[in-house]
Amino acid sequence: MIDRLDTRETESVPATGEAATTIRLETVVNGRPVSAEIEPRTLLLDFLRDRLGLTGAKRSCDVQVCGVCTVLLDGKPVSACSTLAYEAHGREVLTIEGLARFGELHPIQQAFMERTAIQCGFCTPGMILTTKALLDENPRPTREEIAAYLGGNLCRCTGYWMIIEAVEHAARLMAGEEDRS
Amino acid sequence: MSATQAPATLIGSDLPRPDALGKVTGAARYPADLIRPGMLHLKAVFAHRPHARILEIDPAPALAHPGVVAVLTAADVPHNAYGLIEEDQPALCGDVVRFEGDRVALVAAESAEAAAEGARLVRVQYEDLPPVFDPETAMAPGAPLVHAEKGSNVVFHCPIRKGDIERGFAEADVILEDEFQTGWQEHAYLQPEAGIAYRDDEGRVVIETAGQWLHEDRRQIARMLGLPEEQVVIRYAAIGGAFGGREDLSLQHLLALAAWKLDRPVAMQWTREESIIAHHKRHPMRIRCRWGATREGKITAVQATVIADAGAYASTSVEVTKVASLFSSGCYEVPNIHVDGYAVYTNNVPTGAFRGFGAPQAQFAAEIMVTRLAHALGLDPVELRRRNIYREGSLEPTQNPLPPGVSAGAVLERCAAALNERRARSDDGNATPDPFIRRGVGIACGMKNVGYSFGFPEQATATVELFGRFEGERRARVRVGAADVGQGTHLALRQIAAETLQLPLEAVEMITDDSAEAPNAGSASASRLTLMAGRAVAEAAAKALAEWRDSEREHVVSTVTFRPPRTTPLDPVTGACTPNYCYGYAAQLVEVEVNLLTGQVRVPRVVSVHDVGRAINRQQVEGQIEGCLAQAVGYALLEDFQVKDGRVVTRYFNNYLLPTALDMPTEIEPVILELADPNGPFGARGVAEMPLVPFAAAVAIAIHDAIGVWVTRLPMTPERVLAALAAKSEGMQETGMAESALAR
Repeated sequence: MIDRLDTRETESVPATGEAATTIRLETVVNGRPVSAEIEPRTLLLDFLRDRLGLTGAKRSCDVQVCGVCTVLLDGKPVSACSTLAYEAHGREVLTIEGLARFGELHPIQQAFMERTAIQCGFCTPGMILTTKALLDENPRPTREEIAAYLGGNLCRCTGYWMIIEAVEHAARLMAGEEDRS
Repeated sequence: MSATQAPATLIGSDLPRPDALGKVTGAARYPADLIRPGMLHLKAVFAHRPHARILEIDPAPALAHPGVVAVLTAADVPHNAYGLIEEDQPALCGDVVRFEGDRVALVAAESAEAAAEGARLVRVQYEDLPPVFDPETAMAPGAPLVHAEKGSNVVFHCPIRKGDIERGFAEADVILEDEFQTGWQEHAYLQPEAGIAYRDDEGRVVIETAGQWLHEDRRQIARMLGLPEEQVVIRYAAIGGAFGGREDLSLQHLLALAAWKLDRPVAMQWTREESIIAHHKRHPMRIRCRWGATREGKITAVQATVIADAGAYASTSVEVTKVASLFSSGCYEVPNIHVDGYAVYTNNVPTGAFRGFGAPQAQFAAEIMVTRLAHALGLDPVELRRRNIYREGSLEPTQNPLPPGVSAGAVLERCAAALNERRARSDDGNATPDPFIRRGVGIACGMKNVGYSFGFPEQATATVELFGRFEGERRARVRVGAADVGQGTHLALRQIAAETLQLPLEAVEMITDDSAEAPNAGSASASRLTLMAGRAVAEAAAKALAEWRDSEREHVVSTVTFRPPRTTPLDPVTGACTPNYCYGYAAQLVEVEVNLLTGQVRVPRVVSVHDVGRAINRQQVEGQIEGCLAQAVGYALLEDFQVKDGRVVTRYFNNYLLPTALDMPTEIEPVILELADPNGPFGARGVAEMPLVPFAAAVAIAIHDAIGVWVTRLPMTPERVLAALAAKSEGMQETGMAESALAR
């Protein structure tokens, strides 16, 4: 008997080297226009990591449930592991690398550092970008609203407590209520 | 602040993590971020079957695929057997596969896609062998053998005998029996296994990856390749969580093998599915136990059989089984003990280290039994615990006095005070405004060793260098090979060094992540690095400072290897030994809300009391407690890892449910006691694992308080809670119980 249990072997996936159709992607990443020839099936996460070298978005669950690969597409959080790069065509992508401006940390980044909402840090970029989308929508969320909005971002280290505190702290910083020093 | 000004004190300060900046900006490099163009990509061919003989491996179709450079098989591995304790696992299987995640070949290609396609094209011809999936079936005579050459599936039998068990039960007024089952648990570190490897200009093979112990990874890889250890260099990138799951080799040795054989830089990353099927899990255990106590509330006897599913390879199963056996009587001094622990090979996914390391399973059973004994005796469960809890000088099941620094009673009393406060401010009824929600409260204790046990060699080495001609110029470099898996150990060790050297934190440089540049501090496991590496750093720093002050030299180097009090191996018949040199003690109060319609259990509040000896960085200690509680919530209630006929069913996070922000208790109260450990630096002892130890039992006890049924299987899913309720309403006694109250 010659076989393997893995049914995925029956899928026909065009391999490297074979002629593949490409399309032109025109997008804006972290404020800069980007134009690239891509295969239509290219995932946004692979495009960001492998083509643009933006490794802040991480690969983790592969199935859009952990939030670790979160980037903002026109300001809304999406899982880059399950989003086609072409979905960014004509739209704006923000990754963690684009959040700090002119060498100055964004208040959310500042808040995550000040509240030690970080252990291994692998979930942190996605967590911070989801927080940005939340605070852009709702500048003064309650703890319950924070927990609900972050419900799609897993963290296996912190138990979320310090992350929720960091989001509250960030909301205050962004409202100018606390000294950022 | 000039370098001469010593800070007031760095110990206990919530200093910010130096690694935080890179982690909030995306600059931190994790293993997969090291992959560069031009590297060969590796893909493993997995067995995808539980037990089979390999008849033939035909790499030709894979090699014919464009981009595929090589297919490595067992014949390419110089020494094809590895393992943390026992070398029973092949890097690439040559004759037999023993679980679905076994690797039979390794494809190297010019792109990740070509490697994946090549792995699909490797043709492996198998002859299926009879599998065995249940550990008790595997123990029976005539069961299929997972490792035929061993002649038995029993990896290890751990007997512990203390006192006279017959007399212990004869003296008891109440005897209770029950059976408990705990599940597998997936580490689910968010960073899947990944790394790169290459040969450097000195001809050494360098592996850059994530792990928990640089020098042990190096030892195992050097042995596999037949190289002197100096020819292998392990470097850790930023590590995306570990929790015990990176203690075994996963792909580090495959990277090393390919880089060595092919002499090209190579890269590999596992998908989440590959990570879940191939790396070890927490041991599921079946615990049958019998406890006896007198009317006066003295526990007289504990008998237990603990059966752990080791899966296909031993990993650390022997050690985990010893720990589970040792804690079968919890943190109570019991004069008569009879425990038999077994680790058993099956064709399931291998099991090994996971935060708690056998202690959570054993104490889930023990704490429920103590509570039930109290109920049967009409005693307050806190009072029964108080009468039996470990004190200074208490004899362990292994017949030795406990190591000094016993704070089991102190954490219990602090937790009992929290219970009294709660009772004082609420009417303590089970009812809530919602007619289908019942409220309950539970208390449980727990303990776990800090550091290696049972005679396993335990030491940590650190080197401290001091530079400068005069005091104002003084700065330090600390070399200590201790993995920061996210817990913050690098900052804690830096605080210890700076405090000892009377330098500001910025004047202390840390070299921690290169096996060739930092000495061996042992693993990031067993909650040991703060104590072990911390002591080594503190002593090396003190010695360096003394030498620098006594000499005219501008550069002094001092290396210290710290060895704690010795532990000893188990006696093979009685289990007598000195198992550990330090313990961490914990007690928790848990409040639950149980939905009678859905069986769902919520945990609105936890008070988690820990003696940490001394909090080197209080915020990080709280981070450990809260983070560990999240894993405990998953272990107790949510994470239902399922394996059917040797195949993992829960292969993704969409059907293996991890706690989210919404699943966490709305109130977490970490209570940190600082009762100095005699060996710890500044008195510190470990804390990382302790919150997981009592939690599941505390939840089960709270569920019983709420709805009057015992749930004895982990995780306590809604289905199991409803089944327990249904059994109660059918007029049966509380589920899973065979109890007998014997009059003296």
